[in-house]
Amino acid sequence: EDENSEEFFNSENDYQLALVAAYDYLQTTAKFYQYAEIASDNTLCGGESATDSPYIQEIDDMIHSPVGQSDGGLRTMWQWMYEAVNRCNYIMEFQDKTDFPNKTSVIAQTRFLRAYYNFILVKWWGDVPMLVDKRIQFGDQFTIDRTPKGEVYALIEEDLIFAAANLPYIQNETGRVTKGAAQGLLGRVYLYQDKFAEAADVLEDLINNGPHRLLTSDEYPNMFERDWENNIESVFEIQYSDVDGGSYDCFQCLEGNYTTFFNGPRDFIDSTGKFDAGYSFNIPTQEAVDAFEPGDLRFETTILDIEQYIADNPGSSYDANAGYEQTGYFNRKYIARKGDLDIADAALTNPDNYRAIRYADVLLMAAEALNRGGISDTRAQNYLNQVRNRAMLPSVSTTGTNLTNDIYKERRVELFGEGHRFFDLVRTGRAAQAIDGFVSGKHELFPIPIEEINLSGGRWAQNPGY
Amino acid sequence: TVTDFDGNFTLSGVEIGSTLTFSYIGYVTQEITISSNTQLIVKLEDDIAKLDEVVVIGYGTQTKKEITGAVSVVGPETIEKLKPTRIEQALQGQVAGVNITTNSGSPGAGSTISIRGVSTNGDSRPLILVDGNVVEDLSVINPSDIQSINILKDATAGIYGVRAANGVILITTKTGRKSMPLTIEYNAWGGFQQTTRKIPVLNATEYAVIVNEAYAAAGSTPPFSDLSSLGIGTDWQDEVFESAPVFNHNITFRGGGEKSSYSYSSSLLSQDGIVGGKKSNFTRFTNAATYNLDFLDNFKFKSGLTLTRTKKNNLPESTLGSVLFNALNMDPTKSVRDSNGEFTLANGLGAEVVNPLAQIANTFNRNKVMKLNGFAGLSYNFLDHFTAEANIQFNYSEVDTYRYDPEDFYGTGKVFNTFTSEVFEGFDIFRDYTFDGFIKYENTFNDDHKLNVLLGTSVFKTTGVFSGRIGRDFRDNSPTSARVDLALDQEDIFEERGSNPKFDGRLLSYFARLQYDYKGRYLLSAVIRRDGSTRFGPGNKFGYFPSGSLGWVISDEEFMGNNNFFDLLKLRASYGILGNDRIGDYRFVSLLTGEGTYFFGGNDAEDEVFGKATGGIANPQIKWEKQKTIDIGVDMRILNNKVNITADYFNRRTEDLLVSPQVSGLLGTGAAPVVNAGIVENKGFEFAIGYSDTIGEEFKFNINYNITGIKNEVVSVSGEGEFLEGGGFGISQPEISRMEAGFPLGYFVGYQTDGVFQTQDEVNNAAVTNVATQPGDLKFVDQNGDGVIDLDDRVNLGNPLPDATMGLNISFDYKKFDFSAYAFASVGNDIVRNYERNQQLVNKPIWYLDRWTGPSSTNAAPRQTIGTSPNTLFSDFYVEDGSFIRLQNVQLGYTFSNDNEGSFFDQFRLYVSANNLFTLTEYRGYDPTAGTGAPIGGGIDQGIYPSASTFLLGINVKF
Repeated sequence: EDENSEEFFNSENDYQLALVAAYDYLQTTAKFYQYAEIASDNTLCGGESATDSPYIQEIDDMIHSPVGQSDGGLRTMWQWMYEAVNRCNYIMEFQDKTDFPNKTSVIAQTRFLRAYYNFILVKWWGDVPMLVDKRIQFGDQFTIDRTPKGEVYALIEEDLIFAAANLPYIQNETGRVTKGAAQGLLGRVYLYQDKFAEAADVLEDLINNGPHRLLTSDEYPNMFERDWENNIESVFEIQYSDVDGGSYDCFQCLEGNYTTFFNGPRDFIDSTGKFDAGYSFNIPTQEAVDAFEPGDLRFETTILDIEQYIADNPGSSYDANAGYEQTGYFNRKYIARKGDLDIADAALTNPDNYRAIRYADVLLMAAEALNRGGISDTRAQNYLNQVRNRAMLPSVSTTGTNLTNDIYKERRVELFGEGHRFFDLVRTGRAAQAIDGFVSGKHELFPIPIEEINLSGGRWAQNPGY
Repeated sequence: TVTDFDGNFTLSGVEIGSTLTFSYIGYVTQEITISSNTQLIVKLEDDIAKLDEVVVIGYGTQTKKEITGAVSVVGPETIEKLKPTRIEQALQGQVAGVNITTNSGSPGAGSTISIRGVSTNGDSRPLILVDGNVVEDLSVINPSDIQSINILKDATAGIYGVRAANGVILITTKTGRKSMPLTIEYNAWGGFQQTTRKIPVLNATEYAVIVNEAYAAAGSTPPFSDLSSLGIGTDWQDEVFESAPVFNHNITFRGGGEKSSYSYSSSLLSQDGIVGGKKSNFTRFTNAATYNLDFLDNFKFKSGLTLTRTKKNNLPESTLGSVLFNALNMDPTKSVRDSNGEFTLANGLGAEVVNPLAQIANTFNRNKVMKLNGFAGLSYNFLDHFTAEANIQFNYSEVDTYRYDPEDFYGTGKVFNTFTSEVFEGFDIFRDYTFDGFIKYENTFNDDHKLNVLLGTSVFKTTGVFSGRIGRDFRDNSPTSARVDLALDQEDIFEERGSNPKFDGRLLSYFARLQYDYKGRYLLSAVIRRDGSTRFGPGNKFGYFPSGSLGWVISDEEFMGNNNFFDLLKLRASYGILGNDRIGDYRFVSLLTGEGTYFFGGNDAEDEVFGKATGGIANPQIKWEKQKTIDIGVDMRILNNKVNITADYFNRRTEDLLVSPQVSGLLGTGAAPVVNAGIVENKGFEFAIGYSDTIGEEFKFNINYNITGIKNEVVSVSGEGEFLEGGGFGISQPEISRMEAGFPLGYFVGYQTDGVFQTQDEVNNAAVTNVATQPGDLKFVDQNGDGVIDLDDRVNLGNPLPDATMGLNISFDYKKFDFSAYAFASVGNDIVRNYERNQQLVNKPIWYLDRWTGPSSTNAAPRQTIGTSPNTLFSDFYVEDGSFIRLQNVQLGYTFSNDNEGSFFDQFRLYVSANNLFTLTEYRGYDPTAGTGAPIGGGIDQGIYPSASTFLLGINVKF
């Protein structure tokens, strides 16, 4: 018999099972990172043709028509995050039902996850309906209004403070949320609200007391390889696997990371056997490639120059004619590697983890908070230079706004391909000048999918400009 | 008195001058005035009119004359003539109001039956009962075991209340008769099948010309430099289609003693596919036995048992990436095998198109079904007028599924590449039983008032258990070692995921029926049924479904007195409310059936953890869907019963439609909840006319024609301005089929075209999409005149529902020859062409030879380019008229009858038969009769497997 959801949570195991399901939706967030990269000035949509996946094209082109807002596009993403929040709230709704020793840990992990999902919602859509400690039931959807984003942020902060206070830096199982993950995310959440002092506090606490460090320059080229998943630089990492098959009918059911395959070169045959072919999405622009300083260790790890690669590795080939908006560059951090099981559908079942919070990001966020908050440019320089030196680049000694710009520049190249660029530009007010088609006062937020407004009784106002 | 088996009888004490009445079912009743006290020889004549023919109407029978509902009957002659491999084929075009959509022409594939239109976006299948047994899968039934098929089309089906909303098909199987000597009948037929059509595609040279042009148009280097050496190339359709054998044997024993009767039949059907041959073979072995015994004159027993085994091998069909889809799209310059004898890789043709022959070779899918079903019943007659009956029916089936994906490589980046071989073995068990108990009271008062009352109850329970195991990684890549228990990596999908492998559903019903007639002239019937279904929550479980019908046999009225014109003139009317509960189980409660899997400690199988999450979104409020049906009909027979006419008007209005609409994403990703929202109306008429006569002694003929016209309209769906969508087109385009108020169910929505842009000026002055448009591209109509082409400019481009369907049967017997022909037609159904993959190097249908090549060249087809163009967006360029007429069967037989006593056989008939001989249609795809039958998303053709034409030679022998 299938269990009735009202009669669950009778043992620790029940709570743990519900928690696993709350973790599950981390895997769906790959789409957000991929789309956010495409939305930014770093990459173009690409794909098979101009009519392949119009919802991704529209993200790139800042159009967001009803097609882009429909299933497969923004609407699906909206749905996923609410499913995810509901899964967390399901545990919260029954948090007092049964006692057991590990409950605080279960609740702390749950609250981190809820914050993680809510943060995505608030970043993409601003004021969003906020669901708290209770599953939504059929019928409720007509009664819930959009909550001002300040209140959503307040809940996110509360959840993360609770998680940071009640989780250890080291978990027995990799993939579990740690104190460091909660602190790193909390720092990011503060930074998005320009709460520089709070951000600096929590991020420096993590830097000073946490177990993480940068990979060395020697180690760095391995950062995005499978053997180096969950490495010491990874503060929070989303786990993917190749052991299950998957289908296009249910992206949220996948255990694999499909974005890596979608990012790969079309009809690519790699004579070294390292890389898999792909569907040629998420194509780096020349301008973004030029943002790397000469001698930057990170360039080769970040950008795959396909013509160069083929020249360097005889016997390799790819179809230059296939695909739309091709520049000859690919997002090397997140293209599929060979060597996995390739269970059907092979394109959807890549085991490559997504590094959601890296220590390098923590350092750069701390630097930004210290600098922009006017707290300490010295410490800011120190953190920035740790990242630059690791990339074999000289230290900078700038201060004030120049330092701010240096930090911004560094964020772009350090985090290229990882899905941060769009929101970094938005939160620092630089998006309109950087992104073609970006309209100030409008494109800071994505439109609430029109269908979602209709299906909730048509009471929500659309985001400005749409 | 009654006669003995040989027809002998003796009557004593009959006075001269008195009148004797002789009657027998199916014969004209004769009255003879006795003139002398001698031997009397009475020869009864066949009653062509068959007004006393018994029709099964549910928990009882009526004669044709007494019936007040819209009931159609298909008799055994039809089934014998058509040699259907499945029962649905015997219904297509035979019965007014019944429409069959073949899901695929592959052997053993199913069909979608709809009675009087499509009334729901959910499950619109009628209820099918075989000897009282609910049957969901008709493939397991041997058509030659069938005695008759009765189709209840209007509200009088309400005696079956629940699930009767979409009509009821009652199938009665053959049994023996009392006092019947053993008869043995052997039927065999065999022949071959071939495809009815190939879609003309470009040959290698034409293909290269078009591809080069398309590359050049986009500024790319044309890939073919030397066209002279290409020639015709490979005809991939010729490579995949084959002539495939089919044969069937059937033997039947029937007979009966003084108080008992029995029958046994066995059949074996084997049918290869016209695509893939044995790789799509369907084999069916059936055994059916019945035994009836009268313990006493008023205490009777009946029983039956059927054991069926089927085996079906499957190839990917009727979808993107199916064998035929690949054959249509595969590059004709490529050979089947390369110089090393390996299957040629389909590099450069996109992710889905692969070498179809490699695909056939690498496919190992089969389904085996073992099904045991039976029934047993007792009836007891007491106090003269009462009969109590109890029946039990059961179905038990085991479905054994095997799928093996060997390691295979079709080319770079193909979605069908398999790098780790995998086997799936599934074993599902389904059980259900139905218990019916009822009491009938039958009496006639004062000769004129005939009363018939029925009170009964019915219990239905269905349960099932699924199991499935996956094995990966085998020591070698051969099919012989591909078993889960030989795999290095094994997984039980239900156990490991903690998901529930069982289901359970129940129905409890009470029903009452009253039938009354006065002098056989005024007929009345009323039914009330109370149904309870476990599919609805507390408070909504039970529904009451009343229906009533009236009949008036005008031809029996005294005022018709001397009328010689009408042998029968009857008016009928019925109205009723029927229920429908065909939704998933337990949708009123939120169950933990969601997927929630994650990995802790690594990415390997041992790190996988399966969590618990809520599944489908629950709606505690769901209740019975209600269908209100009106039927007004007339039955008449004229010209000495030679002409037989039935006409009906009907209006079926489905309310509280059980739909799964889109819901707010706040509710998450669980399956959409089921809600009662929506109204669908099917209005229409049916008309059937039959003419049979005998000319001279030796020439008998029979002509039957029927036509059905249906107008389907969705009156409302969910909230205002809402619609449900379905049906994919191309790759990641918006869905094209809709259920929307004011339109037919499942209509197509897309751009209307107005030819092709001839010049840049025309483009500059027209509204265009945001995809760059050039001369040679399709011109879309700016419906709202806002200067851009966007989703708001999409309009109704047609729908897959026919406006009218009709059937024509002609048969005649001349001396020992018999001939029959049967055709059916459909008018006004539209089909979307969706078997063209939009990729640089795929092949194309031949009509692209008429492409746009420059100003004023053509409006027929757009320019060819590998660059971006709006031409791939869904528009009426892709919608075709699917109207057709098909000559479904022609048969010529000769009977060597044997008049000599003591010969080895009684009858020997030899015949030749052709099925699906030709189809007249303008539709350019494979088969206008085929479709998924989906209410939303039907009529979209992805290279659907066509129905084969079949040429057969057969014998019937009676011993």
